[in-house]
Amino acid sequence: MNRAAWVFFAALACAGMAMAAEQQPREQGIESSDYVWNEMYADKLQALQAKGDPLRGEIAFEICQGCHRKSALGRADGSYPRLAGQHATVLIKQMTDVRAGRRDNPRMFPFASQHAISPQDIADIAAYLQGLPVPDDNGKGPGTDLAQGGKLYNRDCSSCHGDKGEGNGAKFYPRVSGQHFKYLEREAQEIRNGNRRNADPRMMRVIKNYSDADLQAVTDYMSRLPVSTK
Amino acid sequence: MKLLSWKTATAVLALSLGAGLPSAWADAQQLATTVCVACHGEGGHSVVPTFPNLAGQQQDYLAKQLKDFIDGKRKNEVMAPTIAELKSGDVPGLAAYYAGQKPAPGKVEDAKLAEAGKKLYEDGNTTSGVPACVGCHQPNGVGNTRYPRLAGQHQAYTIQQIGDFKSGTRANDKGRVMRAVAERITEDEMKAVAEYLAGL
Ligand code: HEC
Ligand code: HEC
Ligand code: HEC
Ligand code: HEC
Repeated sequence: MNRAAWVFFAALACAGMAMAAEQQPREQGIESSDYVWNEMYADKLQALQAKGDPLRGEIAFEICQGCHRKSALGRADGSYPRLAGQHATVLIKQMTDVRAGRRDNPRMFPFASQHAISPQDIADIAAYLQGLPVPDDNGKGPGTDLAQGGKLYNRDCSSCHGDKGEGNGAKFYPRVSGQHFKYLEREAQEIRNGNRRNADPRMMRVIKNYSDADLQAVTDYMSRLPVSTK
Repeated sequence: MKLLSWKTATAVLALSLGAGLPSAWADAQQLATTVCVACHGEGGHSVVPTFPNLAGQQQDYLAKQLKDFIDGKRKNEVMAPTIAELKSGDVPGLAAYYAGQKPAPGKVEDAKLAEAGKKLYEDGNTTSGVPACVGCHQPNGVGNTRYPRLAGQHQAYTIQQIGDFKSGTRANDKGRVMRAVAERITEDEMKAVAEYLAGL
């Protein structure tokens, strides 16, 4: 391509960028052979190292609450997860993985991109969300197979997600108690099917042979774990 | 467009009078009541549906818009002659003046449409991913220091602004977030939410 043509196309690209909403980038994830789970790139490190201020975080969270709702309680239909009471490290990992294009979420991307929020904002929001109360009115599953769900949970999941679903902030394992069932079930399927591309391969190995019925039973059980103990 | 040119003429006349009296420009209230009033109405209650009401609008938002007009980040032909004469020193006073005016109570013409608009405003659209407006613009559309007031605004103006964000004609939103919202809104949703907001 000659220089004039290049300049022309560059100008076109710029004009296009100014008009259309931002597209989420796509980075290599779990589908690639050299995938590194929870890779530490600059954006993530900056947010993890910044000291989060919950008061500033409450203000910055205004951008998010149109979807995640006031007090970050999400929606029982699973369209938008709860974020209240989640570990700050987990929140930072998930947000920066979306920014980097490792977890696909084109719907949320324009509101969480570098244009909308800085690494400091992410740290502030995470500090705010981690401290929010988690009421036990989250969406629950059908309750038809809780015995099987409990058996599977204690055998395969509690080592990471905790006996009471409290997760582990230091290890980036999400808290699952108090989360909406519909969201947990969908994510478990997405992780099993390889569509959540920033997932933990160790968890994938655990659930790769799970049937839909078993996933429903175990996530139903998770949605009923007590919320008072973190 | 007869009305418009008459109003522009009034504004131009006011501007030329003002030019002889530089101190008048320093007085926000005087500016508002001699120049801006031609389009934005007495106390910021405009009578032309495409000219926005300014009464009770958030002060920080008003200041940002005027600054964006002066810097060319927001463009509008009708506002342009006024903006050409405006100095950045006039901005704080004007913003304070209009923020301090009492907003007029709104009026709904189509209650059913407004009901649909209220739903979008408070719940968004989980199918298409429109976030609920209430998240940023606050309950009852009153705004805050970071997001503009939408309550009581003319339907036509609200529809036009959402359309302008959608097409990218208006691109002065911080973080590009309002453009991202507008891209997902349908024509019908725009009309409904504008009707709801007009009644607040
Ligand atoms: C347009 C709607 C929308 C907006 C605005 C939005 N999100 Fe999300 N967010 C989503 C959706 C949808 C998901 C679930 C994605 C999925 O199913 O994989 C999600 C998931 C998340 C998750 C992952 C939760 C988990 O348990 O893994 C985090 C963290 C998050 N959002 C934070 C934020 C923050 C912080 C903001 C504001 C800066 C924000 N979101 C704004 C739609 C949105
Ligand atoms: C080796 C540790 C580990 C084990 C074992 C494990 N998980 Fe996970 N799980 C994770 C991590 C880490 C994530 C977050 C995904 C990521 O890496 O970003 C996660 C995420 C999830 C999520 C989505 C939560 C959210 O907030 O988005 C669900 C649902 C889930 N796991 C279910 C299960 C179930 C069910 C089991 C047992 C059958 C299980 N996990 C076993 C580590 C584990
Ligand atoms: C000739 C008519 C006219 C005059 C005179 C005029 N304006 Fe405007 N103004 C408009 C129009 C039309 C718009 C809407 C612009 C658009 O559609 O983007 C507007 C928009 C604005 C806005 C943005 C409002 C919002 O909600 O975003 C502000 C603030 C404003 N004008 C202030 C002023 C001030 C202050 C003056 C006097 C110094 C003034 N205008 C004089 C026509 C006028
Ligand atoms: C993520 C936050 C956010 C959400 C959600 C949001 N907006 Fe906005 N909106 C903004 C910002 C920021 C501006 C001001 C842009 C600027 O500074 O010029 C704005 C401006 C506007 C304006 C122009 C006001 C004027 O006086 O010119 C209208 C109209 C509007 N929004 C309507 C809506 C509607 C309707 C919804 C819901 C469907 C909505 N917004 C949801 C952030 C948001």
